[in-house]
Amino acid sequence: MKQIALYGKGGIGKSTTSANLSAALAEKGLDILQIGCDPKRDSTRMLMQGRFIPTVMDHVRKEGDADVRLEDIMFTGYRGVRCVEAGGPEPGVGCAGRGIIATFQILERLGALKGDIIVYDVLGDVVCGGFAMPMREGYAQEVYLVTSGELMSLYAANNICKAIQRLSMRAKNRCRLAGVICNSKNMENEEELVLEFSKRINSRLIHFIPRDRTVQLAELHKKTVIEYAPESPQAGVYRSLAGIVATNELFTIPNPLDTDELESLAFEYI
Amino acid sequence: MSLNPLPLSISRTGGCTLTGALSVTTGINDSVTIIHGPAGCAHHNFSLLHATILDNDCHIIPKVMSSGMSEHDVIFGGEEALMRSIMEVSSGDPGIIFVLSTCITETIGDDVLAVTQNAGVPVCMVPTGGFLGGDFEKGFSSALIAVSNLALPVHPTPGCNQQVRGSVNLIGEKNLEYEVEQNFMEVKRLVSLLDLTINLRFAHNITRSDINRLPLASLNILREPALSGVGDHLQSMFGTPYISSFPLGISGTLSFIRNVAVRSGLSPDEALDSEKEHQEEIFEGFSDLREALVRLTIPAENPEYPLITEISRAIGLRESPDGTVLPVPYPFPVGTSGIKRMLHLWRRTLICRAA
Repeated sequence: MKQIALYGKGGIGKSTTSANLSAALAEKGLDILQIGCDPKRDSTRMLMQGRFIPTVMDHVRKEGDADVRLEDIMFTGYRGVRCVEAGGPEPGVGCAGRGIIATFQILERLGALKGDIIVYDVLGDVVCGGFAMPMREGYAQEVYLVTSGELMSLYAANNICKAIQRLSMRAKNRCRLAGVICNSKNMENEEELVLEFSKRINSRLIHFIPRDRTVQLAELHKKTVIEYAPESPQAGVYRSLAGIVATNELFTIPNPLDTDELESLAFEYI
Repeated sequence: MSLNPLPLSISRTGGCTLTGALSVTTGINDSVTIIHGPAGCAHHNFSLLHATILDNDCHIIPKVMSSGMSEHDVIFGGEEALMRSIMEVSSGDPGIIFVLSTCITETIGDDVLAVTQNAGVPVCMVPTGGFLGGDFEKGFSSALIAVSNLALPVHPTPGCNQQVRGSVNLIGEKNLEYEVEQNFMEVKRLVSLLDLTINLRFAHNITRSDINRLPLASLNILREPALSGVGDHLQSMFGTPYISSFPLGISGTLSFIRNVAVRSGLSPDEALDSEKEHQEEIFEGFSDLREALVRLTIPAENPEYPLITEISRAIGLRESPDGTVLPVPYPFPVGTSGIKRMLHLWRRTLICRAA
C-alpha cells in the first residue's frame, strides 16, 4: 500500500489535484482512499458530486468517538474512491491540529487505512504538530509538494521541506519527499523556476499541470476533470501524473533553502 | 508570545502557577474554585491542599472542582465545558465562584474571561497558565489581586465604610506553610502591643462577605516582600499603606514594631521596651546553650545569614568549624515566638549531638 500526502500553500490547488489524482488512479482499477486533512472539508467534494460529506470531527462533536462507525465517516465517491474529511472545530476555537491527530486514531481503530493508495490532502502550512501527523507515525511515506511559481507558494513548499527534513532525522520515520507538482498560475518562466527549485531542494519536478479552463468548468459542474471531461487534454495530464505517482520510487530527504536563496532564485526567473 | 522567563530553578516559590492561586482561593471558605482543564490538574492540587490542610490540624475539604476537559474539549474548545461547570457550581449558591485557567486552556485559546463574564452569576477569573512564565508566587499574587478587586470600594461619605484606625490586615499569609497559625498569633501579639487589632486575614479562613472589610484597615502587613505588587495594588485601590514583610529576627522584630507604630501614627516606645524585655527573658531561658560550638552552613550572602548570626550571638553560641550544624527552618521563623521555636530546635539538635 502506498500512502502519499499532498502539501502546499492554501489555495494553490491541492484539493483539485488530489481529487483528480485519486480519480485517475481509481480509473486504473486501484482501491483509493482520499482523506482531507483540512477543517474547511472540501478536499473530496468533486469526487462526491459536489457534496460536502459529514466530517469525522462533525460526528465526534455530535456523538462522541466511542460509537463511531466507518459508514458514519467514510463515503464512496467517483469510481469507488473512499472519501473521508477530517473536519475540525469552528473557526477561532479549539485546536484543529489535535482534531487531525484524533481523526487518524479513529481511522486506524476502525481499520479504514487500507487499499492500494491512500491520498492525504493536507492544509497549506504545517502550522502545528497536528498537521504534520500525516507525515508522522508511519502514515504518509511519500510527500508531494504542490506549488506554483509564485514566491509565497514556493516559500510554503520550502517550509514543508523543513518539516520533512526534521522528521527524517527520527530513527523510525520513513517519510520522504517524493517530488514537486507544479500547478501553474500561467506565470512566465514558471516551469523553469519550479524545476530549478525542485533540484535545489534535492528533489525533482514530477509533473507540470498547465492552467486550463476545463478545471474551472469541471468544478462548476461539481466533478473532477477526469469525470467531467475524460477526453480532454487536462484529464490526460492528471492521468499522466497518476501514472508517475503510482510507480514513483525515487524519494529523497530535502534540503530546504534559506529565505535569501529562495528570493534570489525567484528573481532569476522574473 | 509571553515575554516572561520561565523560573530557572525549582524552589518552593517556583512551580505551578495554579497551585499558588489555589492556595489563596481555597482560603475563602464559602467559595468554590473551578479549575478549567483536565481532571488531573485538579486532582494533583486537591491532594496537595488536602494533605497540607490536614497537616495544620484543619479538617476541611478544599472546594475544588474540575471542568474535566477531555480531548473532545481540546479539539472543539473547552468553553462549553467551563460554562456547564459554572452552572453546576452556581446551583449550590456559593459565596463566590473562582475560575482558574490551566496550561492546556491557555494553549488552545479558550476565552475563559469572556465565559466568566457571560455566566450571569458572580465569577472571579484568575489566569494561571503556568507555561506562560508564571510560577507559584505569580499565581499567589495574581489571585490576591483578583480577590481584592471583589471588595467594595471605600465609601466617600464620612462614617460610612471609612477606614478604621487601630486595625491592620494581614496580606498573603502562606496558607500551605506548617506554622501559618503560629505566625498569625505572633503578628497578632506584636501589633496588640500597640493596641492594634487584626481586621482581616486576607485570604485565610474568611468568607466572601469578609472581603468587603479589606479597605477598612489603616495598614496592610504583607507576608513577604515578594508580595509588594499586591501591596501596591491595595494602596492604589484603597489608599492603605503597607509594610512589606512579617517580622524576622531579633532586631527585625523590633523594627517591625517601630514601622507599624510609625505607619499607624503611634508611639512605639512602650511596645519596644516590652518586647525587648520579652526577648531577654527568652534568651535567658536558653542560657544552657551558652558557649556551645556550632557551625552555620548557610552562605554569608544569604539574607537570612545576619538574622541567624544575630540570634546565635544573643544566646552566646560559639562558631567553630567542628561545631554542630544548626538547622534553619524554611520559611524563616516569624517574630520572637518563631525565634523561640527555633531555639528549641537548636537545643534538641545540640543535645542529640552531645549524646
